[in-house]
Amino acid sequence: MIFDGEKERRALDETFDYVIVGSGAAGATAARILVDTGARIAVVEEGPAVTTAEFSDRVFPAFRRMFRGMGTQIARGRAFIPVIQGSCLGGTTVVNSAIVWRIPDDVWEPWKAQYGLGDALPLDALHTHWDQIERELSARPVAPEIWGENNRLMDIAKNRLGVSAAPMRRYEIGCQGSARCYTGCPHGAKQSMLVTYLPYASERGVMLLTSARVDKVILEGDRAAGVTGHFHVPQFKRAIAPFTLRARKGVLIAASAIQTPGLLARSGVRSPHLGKHFQGHPGAALAGVFDEKVALWFGATQGYESDHHRVDGRFKIETISLPPEMMLARLPGVGRAWVENIARSAHIAMWAVALRAYAQGSVREGLFGTDIRFDLTPQDMINLRKGLRFTAELLFAAGAREVITGIHGLPERLTSPDQAGLLETGPDDPACYSFALTHLFGTARMSVRPTEGVVGTDFSVHRTKGLYVIDSSIFPTNLGVNPQLAIMGIAMHAAKKIAATNE
Amino acid sequence: MLSKQSRIVLDTLLPSRAHPTLKYGVFDAGFNEFWAEFERTALPSLRWGLRTAVFAATWIAPLLIHRLPPLTLHDRPTRERALAAMALSRFYILRQLFVVLKTTVCFCYGADPNVRDAIGYPLQHDDPRRQVS
Repeated sequence: MIFDGEKERRALDETFDYVIVGSGAAGATAARILVDTGARIAVVEEGPAVTTAEFSDRVFPAFRRMFRGMGTQIARGRAFIPVIQGSCLGGTTVVNSAIVWRIPDDVWEPWKAQYGLGDALPLDALHTHWDQIERELSARPVAPEIWGENNRLMDIAKNRLGVSAAPMRRYEIGCQGSARCYTGCPHGAKQSMLVTYLPYASERGVMLLTSARVDKVILEGDRAAGVTGHFHVPQFKRAIAPFTLRARKGVLIAASAIQTPGLLARSGVRSPHLGKHFQGHPGAALAGVFDEKVALWFGATQGYESDHHRVDGRFKIETISLPPEMMLARLPGVGRAWVENIARSAHIAMWAVALRAYAQGSVREGLFGTDIRFDLTPQDMINLRKGLRFTAELLFAAGAREVITGIHGLPERLTSPDQAGLLETGPDDPACYSFALTHLFGTARMSVRPTEGVVGTDFSVHRTKGLYVIDSSIFPTNLGVNPQLAIMGIAMHAAKKIAATNE
Repeated sequence: MLSKQSRIVLDTLLPSRAHPTLKYGVFDAGFNEFWAEFERTALPSLRWGLRTAVFAATWIAPLLIHRLPPLTLHDRPTRERALAAMALSRFYILRQLFVVLKTTVCFCYGADPNVRDAIGYPLQHDDPRRQVS
């Protein structure tokens, strides 16, 4: 059942076995596992419940209703970088591209060797969980009939340059290529948590509380006993009524790498690592202009990728179809010049560099809300520029007539493959680029010893019983690949371990 | 209610009848109604961001091309040059405010059915016009 705090407008005081904070990839997966143990569970979501029937293809209403801070959340540093997160039932899985990647061996190996997490996060067990999740969520490569031109052109580039690239694998059943993943799949084809694990859990008795913000975890001595919070109007954080949810067996925090450290800090958890080591995957896009129509708005939102330089360059190239509102804003020009660019927008393909940054930032509760700091390192900027050059080479290989850079200090347009090198020697100041930051990690990282992290290898906060963190906050590093499956696999592992502990 | 100065800034940014196949400017796309909704429903940070961006475009952008503010004193080509200078300014904050201006305008413009038709955005299965027909 769903208890919508915005509609119910009354206080609540109930007792459960487990209270799960957050309904995204991690929280929903934990609920899906724990409900099978017969436990009584509440999943608490700060955002509203938005149904498939309510999804529209307009960005502003979607931002207002389903994105954290109406899409205005930013990381501060040398540049302002938007930090994109869903804030609705199902979390970011409702508004992402549902891309499937397992943690690559080269990423997991240091987790074992350097961080000592080989036993806590055993790769063979994770593969078993990933098998299950991929099966249950229908992971499959993007079918050619829904590639659309934006994705097909990368296939052409791949064949012409002989680089490693392939259609993405995504969780979907019956995708119609409407390129509307970012505002919620209108066909219910994307297998987000909203249409998979949350209904599974809800049908088996899990209570889903929406528009419900958790203020703090109730700690009795060294044990978590529940959470307190308030129902609110999510967009404006206007409080409606308080709630107290008691947990007999445990509180599982799955609020994301941005919200989890703040919640732990408000609850009295202290660690020098809390809110530190914040990592992510900053991305920057280039637009290729083609003679033929690309019609970006038909085809899988993100359907093709190149991992050619994933290891040696720490970047991946992805096709990306932005909604018209966001794409037109990225086109250069003022007045007549801008209108002319807009009029030709059907001829534009858009591909982005997703960078596995070395940068480590911080997240803390500030006077005006969550304060996110993030600054790319000089090596990150070198890798980014290499990635942009590689992206331009791919676009030209696919037949682009010109490439729109959108980089301050570089020509507005590159008109031949020879000019792609300009991108590699471009400015090293992050403020010259337009980024978005997605895939967020590390702010309550797991460690064997309390001196090195926030969460122990049993997923409980060091020196605290019954308070578990199961989201990407605990990751010791970023991944360089899309993290939904990694997050879900680790949450599944955590939920099984926690259930076994409490048997 | 948009001030006359704000209207001139936005009309300079995205004018009507500037292209044979895309005749629509920002005010043809219902920006007045969008502005009212935006003022009512957007977060304060967004609203103030847009107001600051319009203010900077009006009072600072002309200085970048050595013209006196406000922007509304000048003819359209001069206004376009001033806004282009803001977009390419060496001051990061001005460039960011220009991004805010464009992004917010596009929340309205890119969502307009006529604009979408003109740029080739496919009619969606849940488009109200399809349901009416």
